[in-house]
Amino acid sequence: MRNLVSILLCAALLANAAPIDPREEAFIGARRSYWAFQKVARPPLPSATANPIDAFILAGLKARNLTPSPEAEKRTLIRRATFDLTGLPPTQAEVDAFLNDTRPNAYEQLIDRLIASPAYGERWALKWLDVVRYADTNGYELDAERPQAWRYRDYVIDSFNTNKPYDRFLMEQIAGDELYPGQDKALIATGFLRAGPRHVVGGNLDEEVNRQEVLLEMTLGVSNTFLGLTVGCARCHNHKFDPITQADHYRIQAIMAATDLKEIDLPALGAKAQYEAAKKAHEARLKPIQDEITAIEKPIREQLREAKKAMLSQAHLAALDIPKEKRTEEQETLFKEASKQIGVSWDEVVNAIPAEPKARRAALRARMHAINLDEPEPPPAAFAVANMDQAPQTHILKLGEPKHKLSPVEPAFLSVLGAIEAPKGPGGRRAAFAKWLADPQHPLTARVMANRVWQFRMGTGIVPTPNDFGQLGGRPSNRPLLDWLAAEFVSSGWNVKHLDKLIVTSATYRQSAAIDPAKAAIDADNKLYWRMNQRRLEGEALRDNILLASGKLNSKQFGPPIKTPIEQEIYDIIFTEAEPDNLWPLPKDRSEIYRKSIYLLNKRTVRLPLLTNFDQPDAISSCPVRAVSTHALQALSLLNSDFLHEQSQALAARVSAACPADADCQTRAAYSITLQRPPRPEEQQLARQFLTQKRMPLEDFCKALLNRHEFVYIP
Amino acid sequence: MSSSTSHNRRNVLKAGLGGIAAEWLLQRDLLAQSPLAAKPPHFAPKAKRVIFLFMVGAPSSIDMFDPKPALAKYAGQKLPASFGKVISQFTGGDTGLLPSPWTYKQYGQSGIPVSGLSPHVAQCVDDICFVRSFYTESVVHAPAMYQVHSGRVLTGYPSMGAWVTYGLGSPADNLPAYVVMPQPEGTPEGGTPCWSSGFLPAVYQGTLLRSGPSPILHLKPPAGVTPERQQDTLDLIQQMNRMDSRPGDSEHAARIASYELAFKMQTAAPEAVDLNKETEATKALYGLDDKKTYDFGSRLLLARRLIERGTRFVQIYSGGGPVSIQWDAHKDLVANHEKMAGMTDKPIAGLLKDLKARGLLDETLVIWGSEFGRLPMSEGGNGRDHNPHGFTMWFAGGGVKGGRIVGETDEFGLNGIGQRYHMRDFHATILHLMGLDQHKLYYLHNGRNEKLTDFGGTVIDKVFI
Repeated sequence: MRNLVSILLCAALLANAAPIDPREEAFIGARRSYWAFQKVARPPLPSATANPIDAFILAGLKARNLTPSPEAEKRTLIRRATFDLTGLPPTQAEVDAFLNDTRPNAYEQLIDRLIASPAYGERWALKWLDVVRYADTNGYELDAERPQAWRYRDYVIDSFNTNKPYDRFLMEQIAGDELYPGQDKALIATGFLRAGPRHVVGGNLDEEVNRQEVLLEMTLGVSNTFLGLTVGCARCHNHKFDPITQADHYRIQAIMAATDLKEIDLPALGAKAQYEAAKKAHEARLKPIQDEITAIEKPIREQLREAKKAMLSQAHLAALDIPKEKRTEEQETLFKEASKQIGVSWDEVVNAIPAEPKARRAALRARMHAINLDEPEPPPAAFAVANMDQAPQTHILKLGEPKHKLSPVEPAFLSVLGAIEAPKGPGGRRAAFAKWLADPQHPLTARVMANRVWQFRMGTGIVPTPNDFGQLGGRPSNRPLLDWLAAEFVSSGWNVKHLDKLIVTSATYRQSAAIDPAKAAIDADNKLYWRMNQRRLEGEALRDNILLASGKLNSKQFGPPIKTPIEQEIYDIIFTEAEPDNLWPLPKDRSEIYRKSIYLLNKRTVRLPLLTNFDQPDAISSCPVRAVSTHALQALSLLNSDFLHEQSQALAARVSAACPADADCQTRAAYSITLQRPPRPEEQQLARQFLTQKRMPLEDFCKALLNRHEFVYIP
Repeated sequence: MSSSTSHNRRNVLKAGLGGIAAEWLLQRDLLAQSPLAAKPPHFAPKAKRVIFLFMVGAPSSIDMFDPKPALAKYAGQKLPASFGKVISQFTGGDTGLLPSPWTYKQYGQSGIPVSGLSPHVAQCVDDICFVRSFYTESVVHAPAMYQVHSGRVLTGYPSMGAWVTYGLGSPADNLPAYVVMPQPEGTPEGGTPCWSSGFLPAVYQGTLLRSGPSPILHLKPPAGVTPERQQDTLDLIQQMNRMDSRPGDSEHAARIASYELAFKMQTAAPEAVDLNKETEATKALYGLDDKKTYDFGSRLLLARRLIERGTRFVQIYSGGGPVSIQWDAHKDLVANHEKMAGMTDKPIAGLLKDLKARGLLDETLVIWGSEFGRLPMSEGGNGRDHNPHGFTMWFAGGGVKGGRIVGETDEFGLNGIGQRYHMRDFHATILHLMGLDQHKLYYLHNGRNEKLTDFGGTVIDKVFI
């Protein structure tokens, strides 16, 4: 009887299911019973605890004869939670208020305040943008900027701040254009499908190969981000470890086969005509300068051309003078060759200009670049997608080669989960896919996101590989907890803030991070969470924390990405074959260079050393968990970079404004700003030695604090 | 950590803590070692370090190391129809054949032919193994550069130097393990992905190095900060960080060690790049006495000084920035290659001779190559378009059998024929010479054990057996 019921239930769920090819079924076979493909059933609580999370953790610990660590001290708790939820430390006043708040719900009140902060969405965006490998440029050699892409970054920040239900968040990103027509935000959300790198270059490139790269990036994006499966591995052959067939890979590609990349005007946000007028006025300002530059270059260019002409063969020279309509085929070839041979490049011209006009030209170009800082913003558009009129047929590709087409496939989802088919027309494929993913019964969607929230707050995932719930990924260290979180997530209405609050108010999260060697000997990697994990600030959060300490942080939200000063060595690696001036124009309003890191231009091939040294991912493939490497170049950037030097000086200025002469007072002020606590006696003593006895500059003391473990780690 | 301190620590710990807990702490100590600490290879290596000379924009193999007399015979004629359509970037392969403007002579005991573009390297042919039948997948510079550097035409994969340092670490703890020296005029078209660590930890990415007082980014204290001030600040940092360190916390320990290393690097790196320590004769050998060869020669001499001091992998670019400073001779092949070869030929020969004289060549693998070669037909009458179908790269030192030619191209130099070698074979060979098994050097990334050679390449054993 029970069997019959479950068969009926299955049949109901798979109403749209297409019959599975018997060979594919044979490949999937028993692996259908793998844990991650089973529906989530909310497990019973193992014991009664104030926060259900703790009941599951305690059960896990007990099984290994472990006990949890004591609760961290209050100062640690407020710093930990504030870093985690806003990306920045609390102020000294906030710490003091919390320490003096003896109400039983003081911590919960704190969490409510932090989760409501506008910085909450910025913090989440850092995490989410890693997963979707967002950047502001295309990548590859030309690595051009994507002028409207930032609206997707802002959409992500706004979505987390307004606590958009995750199912809606998912559906907007995959099919916002289809499911919510006419809604700007939903259209901007589809920038998700274009977040990855894209090879844009001239020459004889094969369109079919290019398109395959685009489809592959989209497939990787949806499968890494939402499915938590490595569908990309089934591109050349059936997946080696998971029941994902090669046909499945191309069925998911087929979901996107009719999806075109498109910039779509957002007329609601601004007037196009106004922009056209502003652009004309801007060009009129540039014109006289450009004319002057041309006047300097033209005679030189002519001279060089004449010199090259003098080197041409008679036949080539003659061909140049024959009008196009009179050239024979041979003369046409000669003409083309001759034209190529007498071409003059910019560097040949610049090298040949005498010193005086050369200097004048450089000054003119500088003026031109300065005026270009006022270039009007392009009219708002969504970096989005749109459906084609007809859907091209998708084929399985032999070894992923677009030239080697095998059988055709129709858009459908994963066979192991029922092979539900999507519409065959160009429209609605993505909508059907998004709805399938957002189904509360889907075994992966909620688990994958619940695990990401947990990993984000706890430092490690319950499944340690958040993008890979398959065989090669890690097994859940506490499956009942994962399932409970997933069930709770869905029943709360896919409420991310609810899940976040549950986690950060748990006793598990509030444990001390101290290492007990006896417990570590049992569970060295803290898989069972017998303590809190200490986590290093990401490069971005470290930069923001430094700017907050120096008093320079500009907390303005949203808008186009900002270029912040870079070292000459970094400027020099920006690839260009053109004149390498003005490759990195800094904003006119210099307070913009101190914006939070989430608003800095993320250029795929030119990384900021401070960020990349601290393991900022390359935005080329999805990064579910950042590496934490420790090496000497980190120390060098925190000791010697201009950025650290300037911020140390600014911090010193802040400190001496508070305490002009008294070294003890300065020490207290510097500790309060950077670590939000008073110095301990031995620290006061150390500071006295440094500042008073050795008479070292206050800025060096400040720099040392910015280098300190305690400053760099979330406690 | 030396074994004796480790032993002492073991005793102290065992006295104070339970056995298992103490063992755990010791393990953590090991983890606190630099991720670049030297690691044993998979088997006995022939080469311990690599100097990779990369010619940006693609030199023409048939005009340097692979003579094609047929081009003179059929000058101006089209390739026989049997060759089919030729794929290249800008031309369709339907223009006339362009004979090499240079003449070839035979050199050394091996009698290997070298064109007039490389009179100095020609003197070293008995130490060089030329592989003439490499092919690659893209006709476009950047993707082909990604393939020769990282095994794929896509970005996001670790470069060869990153894989080698990930696999072997580095014997030098006071210098970067993997150093990159681009052309001063600009970066190669492929840009930073050519030395990226891809999905490997950032510590394995190539470190840019330039000559001068601050060879590495942020190596020197900011203007106005004296070394004494720097030392005192560093002392304060280390004192505070020791206060913050918790027992058993390997990350804290590693961080303290990284500051020590940074400090050592501040002394070691400027010394390593100080070319004034070299004799005039050595400088002249690398062409430092000539404006034309000064820059490239300086970078090669730097490379020798770095590998002497333990750097594992040095990558040097000839060409970058404006088209006129690349080997990309779409027009005026003669002027372009005379200029580019003029800047590099003498220094490269100087490097080989110098390494040999110092007994370093035996264990130093020197590789000369590019993203592809150039077509036998003309482009624009006096240039050549890209040829990914058959081109030459060469190896010297590090167990390589010199005076050899491996593989061949057809009579026009268009396609590799017979045994052709893919970039994965190039990589498999280099890893093998370094004592690394291409199948054992992997990293789990997004569900897949990724390798430099992906599905695996063929070790070109004719290079070294």
